[in-house]
Amino acid sequence: MAILGRRGAEGNPPGQIPVHVRVEVLFYAAEVGGGPPAPARRLAGERGSWTLGGHRIVTSVTLGAPAASTPPRRNRLLHAFASSPSLRVIGRRLLTAIPVLFGVSFITFSLLNLLPGDAASSLLGLNATPQELKALRIRLNLNEPFFTRFGHWFGNVLSGHFGNSLASGQSVTSILGQRVPVSIELILFAFVLSVAFSIPVAVLAARHPRGFVDRCSILVSMAGLATPNFVLALLASLVFALHLRLVPVLGYVPLRQNFWENIHSMVLPAATIAFGLFCTYTRLLRADIVEQLVAEDYITTARAKGVHPWVILVRHALRNSMFGLLTLIGLNLGTLIGGTVIIEQIFALPGMGQELIQAINNRDVIVVEGVVLLIAVVIVLANLATDLLYAVLDPRIRYGRSTS
Amino acid sequence: MAVRLPEVSVAEIGVTAVHDAAEIAAPRWRRDLELWLPAGFLALLVGACFLWPLIDHSLPSPVGGQLQNANVPPLSRGALFGTDNLGNDIFSRILYGGRVSIEVGLGANLIGLCLGGYYGVFAAFKGGLIEATMMRILDMFLAFPALILAIVVSQFLGPSELHVIFAISFFSVPAFARIARAQTLRLREQTYVTAARLSGRKDRAILFGHVIPNVVPNLLTFGLLGIPIVIIVEAALSFLGYGVPPPGPSWGNMLAVGQSYLSSNPDLVIIPAAFLIATVLSLNLVGDAVRDRWASR
Repeated sequence: MAILGRRGAEGNPPGQIPVHVRVEVLFYAAEVGGGPPAPARRLAGERGSWTLGGHRIVTSVTLGAPAASTPPRRNRLLHAFASSPSLRVIGRRLLTAIPVLFGVSFITFSLLNLLPGDAASSLLGLNATPQELKALRIRLNLNEPFFTRFGHWFGNVLSGHFGNSLASGQSVTSILGQRVPVSIELILFAFVLSVAFSIPVAVLAARHPRGFVDRCSILVSMAGLATPNFVLALLASLVFALHLRLVPVLGYVPLRQNFWENIHSMVLPAATIAFGLFCTYTRLLRADIVEQLVAEDYITTARAKGVHPWVILVRHALRNSMFGLLTLIGLNLGTLIGGTVIIEQIFALPGMGQELIQAINNRDVIVVEGVVLLIAVVIVLANLATDLLYAVLDPRIRYGRSTS
Repeated sequence: MAVRLPEVSVAEIGVTAVHDAAEIAAPRWRRDLELWLPAGFLALLVGACFLWPLIDHSLPSPVGGQLQNANVPPLSRGALFGTDNLGNDIFSRILYGGRVSIEVGLGANLIGLCLGGYYGVFAAFKGGLIEATMMRILDMFLAFPALILAIVVSQFLGPSELHVIFAISFFSVPAFARIARAQTLRLREQTYVTAARLSGRKDRAILFGHVIPNVVPNLLTFGLLGIPIVIIVEAALSFLGYGVPPPGPSWGNMLAVGQSYLSSNPDLVIIPAAFLIATVLSLNLVGDAVRDRWASR
């Protein structure tokens, strides 16, 4: 038995004019057989009305229909899908992602088509004869009309083939297979560094708001948020690589070749990216913890019980603040991937971003499409995961409540 | 128990708006200082960038320096910040580069404010299928890595300052549109909008008379916070060689040149980096202060 809904339809602020507020109470006979429970039956059809502070309140009680018997489960997967609201939400979001991904690939294709020059001219250089150019265009199918080429490419993608690079003939999957791990390592490394540093700093800062650590962390964050990552990369390599000679300026060592040298060559680029994240995370965490310490009842309760301040900080406040941090991490992923492009370029890391810039310069549509599509998929998934996570982790947030 | 994902994703709540609400306010003089000190710096910078070249006729040109004057150290006679590898006066390049940054920062945000603001308000006001379609189109641009979009657009249009503004507008417009939409959705539920509708005003009149005037202040604050971001993106584009064409003065170009001479002449990086950081920092501080003081929540 459950109260399904109350509808206060014609509510108005209290005033001199009496208004009708109709409250409908629906009783619902569900799981238990044998109809609605006795109190509900007694109330059914009852209508009452009374006046309260200028409101005329009318109640009526209606009995809900008994639940229809559940249909036989033909397809368990389908049934699970249809009956679970969150799965349905995921499904719908993934479905709406398809036109977005299609649009992204179409925009990419047309943008690259609009760019002056094509793959043939950039491959052969300035001294190519018209005959050579023509021959190469035919070989690469560049002479076909735009929509034919796009349709051809898109059809291949739908059947799982991402095509071959126009410049090198290598398949896009194998190019991405080489490039993506480097970018993933860079991003993961940066995440680990930033989270590992921002949590203790935020907790220490929140321990004494406006204290010494707090002021220092605010100063550092302010400076960090104002420094673009490529400027930071230049300054960091000036100090740590050129002056202190702690790390090499350039030169990537693959992970499989030598683990420690790989870490050595990645630490500066990762730290550059991590610093920006560190500043954002620290500010968020600190503000969130301080707000909880001031405003939340469970903190007051814990204090009154005599729980040690550090325990309150770490076990109560920090734990709750981690949700916000997770959301931010999910949201940052998109911008982060964009940000690695420039960092990879500066430190000459053979990652996805470098490949992308090279491919744009070569007018290598197929490779550009591959990279852009991959990034778009990651961003769409990250946004979805964040939205879901947000609702799952914080029970106060319900899906249905939209803006404000 | 209607379970439905919010139509507005968490992204719109605004990640940068980390606000310490629950704190004791700082003393008044400090809050004033946090606004007027950076504002003063910005006023000085803008004044210097736009007026100094008009007043001081002995200021060397930012381009076309002589090679025999190359790599003069800072604080020498006639060259306050020294000269770069081509003999161009760095001080003059900083001033002209600052002009570029300010113009791009304002331009891209103005375009975003006008186009994106109207787009978002219109979408939210119409609602239904129109809104859903309009927002999905924006999603396409947002799922696109911004820097890449800007690179392609600026390469297509050819490198120039105006085209950088257009390129950056491709993602300032969606950003403004989302904020404007979220604001409008909130306003649409307000009593005075309902009252206006009930009293028979036309949609257009409600849009221009009631909704837009209430959205604009928030968009202006958002735009103020957006200027430093645009300045950074401009510098990044120029740094990668897709912004202002290379000999032209831009802080990003200066940093790109400096990268090649990092070991021999670090001043080429340090000076433009200092100006870029100081400008962005001041804009952030002013933006935060303005938001805290005057923005309606």
